[in-house]
Amino acid sequence: MPGASRWANDEADAAEDARRKKEKEDKKRAKQLKQEREAAAAAAQEEDTRPSKRRKLSPTVRDDESAKPAERQLLRFEGGSWGRCRHVDNYNVINHIEQGTFGVVSRAIEVETGEVVALKMAKHDERVREADGYSVPALREVEMLRKARHPNIVALKEVVRGGDYSVSGGPIYLVLEFVEHDLRDLMNHMPEPFVASEIKTLFRQLVTAVDFLHTNHIMHRDLKTSNILLSNRGHLKLADFGMARTVPPPSTPNIPTSPLTTVVVTLWYRAPELLLGAKTYTTAIDIWSLGCIFSEFQDKTNSYILKGKNEVDQLYKIFSLVGIPTEKAWPSFSRLPNAKALKLPRNPAKPPSLKRVFPSLTDAGVDLLSWMLESNPDRRATAKDILSHVYFEESPKPKPMELFPTFPSKAAKEKRKEWTPEAPKRGEGRWSNNGWQPGEVDFTALSSGREKR
Amino acid sequence: MEFSPLANPLATVAQLETSNSQFDGLPADLEKSIRFAGARLTQAAGILLRLPQEVIAQAILIFMRYWLGPEAGSLHHDPADVVSAASIYLAAKTSAYQKSARSVINVYAFLDSIPTTYTDLSQLPEGVPYVSESTYTTRKRRLFSVEVEVLESIGFQITFTLPYTLCFTYLQALDAFTYPRGQHLARRAMAHLNTGLLSPQFLYLTHQPHALAVAAIYLAAREVGVKLPGVEWWEVFDVDREELGFLVVGFLSVGTFAAEEKKYWGTRKVPMTVAELDEELDVRRVSSGNASLEVDAPQNSSTGVSQSGSPVGEC
Repeated sequence: MPGASRWANDEADAAEDARRKKEKEDKKRAKQLKQEREAAAAAAQEEDTRPSKRRKLSPTVRDDESAKPAERQLLRFEGGSWGRCRHVDNYNVINHIEQGTFGVVSRAIEVETGEVVALKMAKHDERVREADGYSVPALREVEMLRKARHPNIVALKEVVRGGDYSVSGGPIYLVLEFVEHDLRDLMNHMPEPFVASEIKTLFRQLVTAVDFLHTNHIMHRDLKTSNILLSNRGHLKLADFGMARTVPPPSTPNIPTSPLTTVVVTLWYRAPELLLGAKTYTTAIDIWSLGCIFSEFQDKTNSYILKGKNEVDQLYKIFSLVGIPTEKAWPSFSRLPNAKALKLPRNPAKPPSLKRVFPSLTDAGVDLLSWMLESNPDRRATAKDILSHVYFEESPKPKPMELFPTFPSKAAKEKRKEWTPEAPKRGEGRWSNNGWQPGEVDFTALSSGREKR
Repeated sequence: MEFSPLANPLATVAQLETSNSQFDGLPADLEKSIRFAGARLTQAAGILLRLPQEVIAQAILIFMRYWLGPEAGSLHHDPADVVSAASIYLAAKTSAYQKSARSVINVYAFLDSIPTTYTDLSQLPEGVPYVSESTYTTRKRRLFSVEVEVLESIGFQITFTLPYTLCFTYLQALDAFTYPRGQHLARRAMAHLNTGLLSPQFLYLTHQPHALAVAAIYLAAREVGVKLPGVEWWEVFDVDREELGFLVVGFLSVGTFAAEEKKYWGTRKVPMTVAELDEELDVRRVSSGNASLEVDAPQNSSTGVSQSGSPVGEC
């Protein structure tokens, strides 16, 4: 739809203009207000000679200041309250959405308020519980979602429990905000892939969320399109924090942290250092996954770009896309545990440039992608690097979220519109039972159908 | 409703008004003593487990939350030491410093072997107590069942925003580190924040982290003698004078409370298990019975008219 984007830009520009105008007016008003207030304060200071009645906490406070009207607006932070877990019976399940790695997710409605939510049941493995107590992935997911309150991260409303009312230790459910689509499923069924401006908006939201996590010392460790949700308003939300964990900043005292497991991240999104068995890794592994997601967006058919059959094949696919790391580009590469077992060719063929793999991508886009898919984790881009990359500034600009197309939601059991024929175009084929037939009309299908009866 | 990531869920009025332990007939002062000793126990265990203070603080706050309100845990059912162990096990689990159940159980066995609660650190028992395999299995099972109980009773709200980093940010904003005693000031402020964790008024469960940070700085600056701006600088950090004053008094009162506790319990042990608690209640019942007899006797013999309406045993 080439026409749509033009309209989109016009509307966006209009909105932007209106916003700027309003901003200017606001500034003007604020300035005026400030001047007035200053004048009033000066007057009050002159007039008010009475000593303050309020008890002074600090002797250094001068009279005239403590006597100032206490009108200053202080921010109040709302944190809510806590209480015993409610029972899952407060929600009515409408339909199942998916069977995730972490547990079953279903769409439900809160009986009291009528609010639609997603209920995610936390798996609990009896054997694990015997050994280590409450399931770590479930606890981590709750903890991470509580810590990571961000517009682009799915919001956790509460945790409810199922099972017998009087017995504790039954299954638990996370009550999450309901978001219509997951990106993977959406991209599988979209009639046309996202256009460049839409990709920018989506990807920027995703990187903003990842940046927020990394600033708060959280690694997601399972970034992939099926863990990314998209609302009908073009609002992207990151979900599934079952693999996430905190990494203390390097400046923390020398208290040994528990070891990191290398069995993280879905294979097709797994960074080379993980495949090579690195004992320590950083938030850079999330960036590699971002690179994979970005390339998925760019692909014409929206398919996975590095689709390895197993760990070795995955490494092979990576190296044939971005090249085998040289000693210079990644000095510690050869010292990684699994690197020794690799049989690498002496004179490897130079991989095709990413520009040829993704012809639709601009030079800036290619630069960004190759930075995210940098084999050496130390040289890979950070989330902040990505956000300030020129790719987001060049044309086409990111599409405003309000102008995103909407799609029928599979999760909400909305009917996907079936494919219907369009009006025939000049010089093209005609419609028959078998779809578009170029050139000559073939009626054999009709007659063959009749013969059978 | 969107909640600020800088804020914590706070205790409701109902939760502050009463507790399940009091419903079960536990005297309020004894409940306070046990909660305080339990929080100290958690802190000690955290140090022995070599956990960073942030994780220990989280554990103490989980422990404190567990006892608050009519729907919460009751000391008549749940032993304070196991709840403390479960809290620290939980807090470590979601942090980057996971600890095994065995480490936790060993550390609590060691702490339990210390005969007095307010002990002299130079008189710690020597050697590590031995936990037999069967004891370990029973204790582990109990730890895990209390863990679930703690999680469900506080609605899985085990995440806390702590005031430590905020405190440093505020000190920087106040240019405190340009003073020669800036370092000292920061250390004192941190000390107050750690003290506040143990507060019998649950300062961390009734006030937001930014207010705690400001109050700790205010108090530390007065103690160290660093002169902060002569204006209401706390308002810049969104704390009003009333809240600041309350918190300053709250921080200061913990020391007094601790001294009283130490004096009251002397060389005895604050009851940490249900059995110890029952024993303590029995002792109290007997002594208060004796006390009322003693007090009643002279009153009867003199005039026969009871003059004072003050209940016996209130002290």
